[in-house]
Amino acid sequence: MAKSNDTNEKRGAARVAVVAAGVVSPLGFGLSETLDSLREARDCVNGVTRFSVTGCRCKTAGQLPDERLLERRCNGAHARRRHRASHMVIQALGEALTQEPQFKPELTVVGTTSGGMSYGEDYFRSLNRNSSLRRSPTWIANYPAQKPVIDAQEAFGISAPCQVIANACASGTNAIGHAFECVRSGRYQRLLAGGYDALSELVFVGFDSLRASTPEKCRPFDRDRTGMVLGEGAAVLALENLDAARVRGARVLAEIIGYGISTDNFHMTQPDPSGIGPRQAMERALGSANISADVVDYINAHGTATAFNDAAEGKAISALFDRVPVSSTKSMMGHSLGAAGAIEAIISLLALQHQFLPPNINFHAADEDIDLNVVANEAQSAVLRTVLSNSFGFGGTNASILMRKFEA
Amino acid sequence: MNLAIAGMGWITPLGSGVDPVWERLLQGEEARAEKITDQFGDQCYSVFHVPESALASSAAHPRLRRASVISRFAAAAGVEALEAAGVKPDSQSAQRIALVFAISNGGVIYTKRFYRDIVETGAQSASPLLFPETVFNAPASHLAAILGITGATYTLVGDSAVGLMAIKMAEDLMTNEALDYCLVVGAEEVDWLLCDAYRRWRLLRLAPPVEPFARIDRGMILSEGAGAILIGRDGPIIIEATQAGGHYRTRAETEGKIKQILYDLSQAKIDFVISSANGTFIDKAECGAVQGIIPNAFVYTAKPALGESVGAAGLWQVILGSQALRCGELPPLLHAEATIPLRISPLRIPVAGARHTIVLSCGVNQQVAGLRLSIR
Repeated sequence: MAKSNDTNEKRGAARVAVVAAGVVSPLGFGLSETLDSLREARDCVNGVTRFSVTGCRCKTAGQLPDERLLERRCNGAHARRRHRASHMVIQALGEALTQEPQFKPELTVVGTTSGGMSYGEDYFRSLNRNSSLRRSPTWIANYPAQKPVIDAQEAFGISAPCQVIANACASGTNAIGHAFECVRSGRYQRLLAGGYDALSELVFVGFDSLRASTPEKCRPFDRDRTGMVLGEGAAVLALENLDAARVRGARVLAEIIGYGISTDNFHMTQPDPSGIGPRQAMERALGSANISADVVDYINAHGTATAFNDAAEGKAISALFDRVPVSSTKSMMGHSLGAAGAIEAIISLLALQHQFLPPNINFHAADEDIDLNVVANEAQSAVLRTVLSNSFGFGGTNASILMRKFEA
Repeated sequence: MNLAIAGMGWITPLGSGVDPVWERLLQGEEARAEKITDQFGDQCYSVFHVPESALASSAAHPRLRRASVISRFAAAAGVEALEAAGVKPDSQSAQRIALVFAISNGGVIYTKRFYRDIVETGAQSASPLLFPETVFNAPASHLAAILGITGATYTLVGDSAVGLMAIKMAEDLMTNEALDYCLVVGAEEVDWLLCDAYRRWRLLRLAPPVEPFARIDRGMILSEGAGAILIGRDGPIIIEATQAGGHYRTRAETEGKIKQILYDLSQAKIDFVISSANGTFIDKAECGAVQGIIPNAFVYTAKPALGESVGAAGLWQVILGSQALRCGELPPLLHAEATIPLRISPLRIPVAGARHTIVLSCGVNQQVAGLRLSIR
């Protein structure tokens, strides 16, 4: 177990500041709208309109409205060819750069699961139905997972190398965690980190085929939970060596103080029921921050509302923490896969900044097998100093990051 | 911090095993192209497949029973790299090994099959067995399970430069002294759907040969397989410097980006360059950049012999560079015109005494990266 002192600086390691952040998700476009949705416990999940869901059990998702997503789209053929995911990353990065216009990253680390998948679908459908392939060069060139990140960097004159992590649903947290370690090691001064994913038919039907998604409301940790709903979005955080940020007078939004990663080799799509994978990720994050579990004030859980995930995560949390408040904000916006960890990092950041507990909506009855202090249905005021955010994914990838309120 | 290559593994269309494949390249052998057709039988493509015999000796594992062939390639290469280094992970030591996986197109065969069922028969026919194999990190997950790795596992996605990006990530991970090794694996599988996509993108030729650095870029031939290197703190080949490059916005910018990489990496005398030339527009960019920055270095690319394996390509190049430094010899460059303004050789050529090489990876989808290897 980690040390009990509350100084989280490993000997000789640099402290890591978050100096800017941007987000687009079903909760809203930007930090302000996101904060409002969290405080008002809005259910931002609705009927899927992007593709046919005929034949699927689940019919809902957290979607971004195209009219808003594309309203700030630059003119020109190049901009028109971009995938929706590019526009998401552009908007999230644009918001972050509004706070830090001169931020020049040495490296950009972004998580995703499916890149521009819907362009791949368009291409395959046209091929399969022998219909027009006139747009196929656009689909093919804009399908790769790195393209939205490169598009967003180009939109703002950034030319940093991009590492695109595809660790399934843990990707966003892995990206932030790896970026955190890069700065903490002293090898880098400033990085961009985040995640993105856009809804696609293939992925939607895939989760439906596994019966992981639900035809009902998403009820994380509830006794009557029946599964997840998908979502989409993007989030970007600008990370910087804290000393360097202070020297130039940057506004520090929060600190990232720990990161844990684990791989459980139990099954491709199911966690080890013992919760060993999530537990190791959280323990390693605590160890990385050199803090004890009792200083964690809130956990933004992975909380997909599937029977297996919530049971394993609940078991791991209750084994490590003593009645710490827990919520899954996926209940409001759906599970945005590679973006989820990054969006939830920003939700954790907002919780720290504004001193409240984001709600876990659609929660009606506690599961007697999961001993958690769930932040049920409404946001709550709270004194928060340290928060933990979890993400777990297919293939047994587990990731946790710890953030701390910045106190100058 | 200089890291070293402790072990390597290689699965290619010319067979498996680092030494056997290397020997065949030295002999001037070229993989045998196979014809595949699209599902409608309308279009025929040439590809370099991994022969089934190359996987015959690889261990069967329950995790691979339903896995796509890309996962089998990755497992075979990864296990070979560990064995070459004499590393046998147990429950304790496996925690001190990280896994970084490089991939570009991923499990395209199962992805296509899964989505085809949806398109042709409807969502209700989607297979819950296929879907997990469509995710990018499925091969990495299988390999982690086979090796018992319980710590850091990352899958990186990108174009042909992703292999070197993965090595760069491994270098960053290895600053953590709790890690003894980082296994970096690149893998890819080939399918007619990829051939069709690259053809529509005007990057593919329908039949060999692949002509590197030609005046007219006639395109590449896709191939498949895997490469693995085990990065540790000791070994005969040193990873002296990595350059994560960045991205080019337009094809016209490519040469300038490569020049910057070569400039940064050529602070030591460079004896030869393992190029990523594959018969496309990137050949001219690499040719111009090498001419401009290190004109006296020998240049070699294995893509005429092995094809373009995209996600695996960077790892293959690092294996080639390491073997050339160890053996003091470069294989013959196949199908190259005599008038190419670079130091190339149609015959195997001794580079005895060579100390440094640059591995250069330029992808067709905007990413570039490089690294410098040296021999102790």
